[in-house]
Amino acid sequence: MADFFRYLVIGLGNGAIYAMIGLGLVVIYRATGLLNFSQGEIAMFTTFIVWSFTQAGIPLWASMLLGVVAGFLIGVVLQRVIIQPFGDPHQKPLTLVIVTIGMFLGINAFAQLIWGTDTKALDPLFGNGQFEIFGVGIAWQKVGALAVLAVEVVVFWLIFQRTKIGLAMRSVASNSESSALVGIPVSRVLMIGWGLAASIGAVAGTFTAVDRGVDSNLMILTLIYALAAITLGGFDSLVGAVVGGLIVGIVTEVVPRYVDFLAKVPLAPAFALILIVLLVRPEGLFGTKRVARV
Amino acid sequence: MTDIATPTVEPMTSGSRGFDSQRALRVAPVVVILVLCIVLPLMLSEFWVDRITGWIPLAIAALGLNLLTGYNGQISVGHGALYGLGAYTSAILVGDQGWPLFLAVLGGALVSFAAGVIIGLPALRIRGLYLALVTLSVAVLFPELVRQAEGLTGGTGGYYITEPQVNSRGVVVDRPIRLEAPEWTGLANDQWRFYVFVVIAFACFVLARNLVHSRTGRAMIAIRDNEVAAEVNGVNVARIKVLTFGVGSALAGVGGGLYALWRTQLFPQSFTLLASFYFLVAMVVGGPASIIGPAIGAVFYGFFADVITPELPERVKPATPLILGVLLIVLMRVAPGGVVGLARTTMARFAVARAAPRGADSESAAGEDETASISRSEE
Repeated sequence: MADFFRYLVIGLGNGAIYAMIGLGLVVIYRATGLLNFSQGEIAMFTTFIVWSFTQAGIPLWASMLLGVVAGFLIGVVLQRVIIQPFGDPHQKPLTLVIVTIGMFLGINAFAQLIWGTDTKALDPLFGNGQFEIFGVGIAWQKVGALAVLAVEVVVFWLIFQRTKIGLAMRSVASNSESSALVGIPVSRVLMIGWGLAASIGAVAGTFTAVDRGVDSNLMILTLIYALAAITLGGFDSLVGAVVGGLIVGIVTEVVPRYVDFLAKVPLAPAFALILIVLLVRPEGLFGTKRVARV
Repeated sequence: MTDIATPTVEPMTSGSRGFDSQRALRVAPVVVILVLCIVLPLMLSEFWVDRITGWIPLAIAALGLNLLTGYNGQISVGHGALYGLGAYTSAILVGDQGWPLFLAVLGGALVSFAAGVIIGLPALRIRGLYLALVTLSVAVLFPELVRQAEGLTGGTGGYYITEPQVNSRGVVVDRPIRLEAPEWTGLANDQWRFYVFVVIAFACFVLARNLVHSRTGRAMIAIRDNEVAAEVNGVNVARIKVLTFGVGSALAGVGGGLYALWRTQLFPQSFTLLASFYFLVAMVVGGPASIIGPAIGAVFYGFFADVITPELPERVKPATPLILGVLLIVLMRVAPGGVVGLARTTMARFAVARAAPRGADSESAAGEDETASISRSEE
């Protein structure tokens, strides 16, 4: 039982990371109806930036914040230079899938070009310490990930519900044509949406990197887990991304511990989750059901 | 889901003109490719013949992806997994079961066909973005499963298609099983291998062409352009979609099987997400919804990977996918029809210009209009 509790906490800590990437995916999906397959690679790229700042002697937490700013700028530039010229993704979703795959390839290779192919080490943000609860040692890092996720959720909630730009973003997500008619600069709103989505990647990457180091493959598995998370939670639901992320984190940590043939393939339960949810309840737990008019 | 489709431009041709230049222009690339296929192995060194042989499996797999995505509008980001499945199945059938080589490739194709149908069934409910998401996960999952099934696939250490053989000094060594030229041909092994691969590839391309031009093919295209309209017109959407998934996967399996025969050693890292992405690159560069497109794309990719990349300085080599990524984005923007699309548009302009020799002022404008508005029916 103590073991189970420990796996649970580890799973929650990992789930917090999936939820962060999931939040970025949901923000872009809500605003533009586009599934950004390069989300994980943007996060990987900004994590390299965080690492570079730490090498320059800047403390990790400050580097991470700088990484967040860099991520915002990268998101803005990508939206302006690459995505914007394609027009409304609702019209041609598959073209934009291929475009984001092009971005995936490009960003991945660009990171290798700049930082090489060696794995870089990054310290845990909350140190290596742990505390005991009911006789089970729990790493501060895992609890820290949950706390940081909570902060992110609050910040996102404040931006979406309490600021003018957030109101504009919700309006564009709901109906971009009408928004344009009432004078909302739709294109600029989408640009800021991309910036926001890309900015949290640095945080997710900084947490992921602790266990496996920073290299260009940092986020590939995390991306799949995050996709599983938003599939479960619903593509257009921020709450769904968080709940889905935590559930995926727990499932992919706990199931392989008890099912032998899955021990080395934690991806398999995540995949099964994606498939089952899409077949049984395609809108996810919290998503809006889409009804197509024929 | 019509957006990847090439706006097919098929200007009217007057059959009474004697020499049908439109038809000639369409047949010319096929003739050029066939002549090159016959001549090249006789001219190039063994090294290069071997390299070029390796481009053929890619062309066949990209053809399968093109049937599925280009003609039927079902996006697969995970075709590398089906390619890998075909490769490992064929390799194990040869290496462990001792099957004849071609039968093993057929076996790999059948297994990939079955896997394609199994993925195709849920794809009836899961479409568009969601299908991209599922196939992406399949692509990431596949190498993990190969690593896990170590007893069968050799895991990370790789699978070698070999048989024990006593060598000239009486020592038993593992010798790779490869295609070898029969005596009567008088060809070197590498040349024989190339010709055999070309014949198989040619068969696959003719098969795909006939399929696309058949009733089933028209149904595939109709589903891509408007699924509801297709259904209303009596197309059995479910049957066609699952069938296309199966055939597209079987072709990936054939490609994979040939790859296994060519390399004689397989590693899980050859079948990652990147492999799937490169099939997409080959398809988009050559031209989605065209038969010859994947072959052109595969040649482009092969040329890029085997000829250009080795010339680059060591420091810049990791950046080659960067070039492919940028190319993918730029092509989707300026030429979503790939090389074939560009050729078709150019031909259409040429035809329009010739048809209206007097309206010199309106020529270019008419050309623009034509390419945008000519019906998109396929042939």
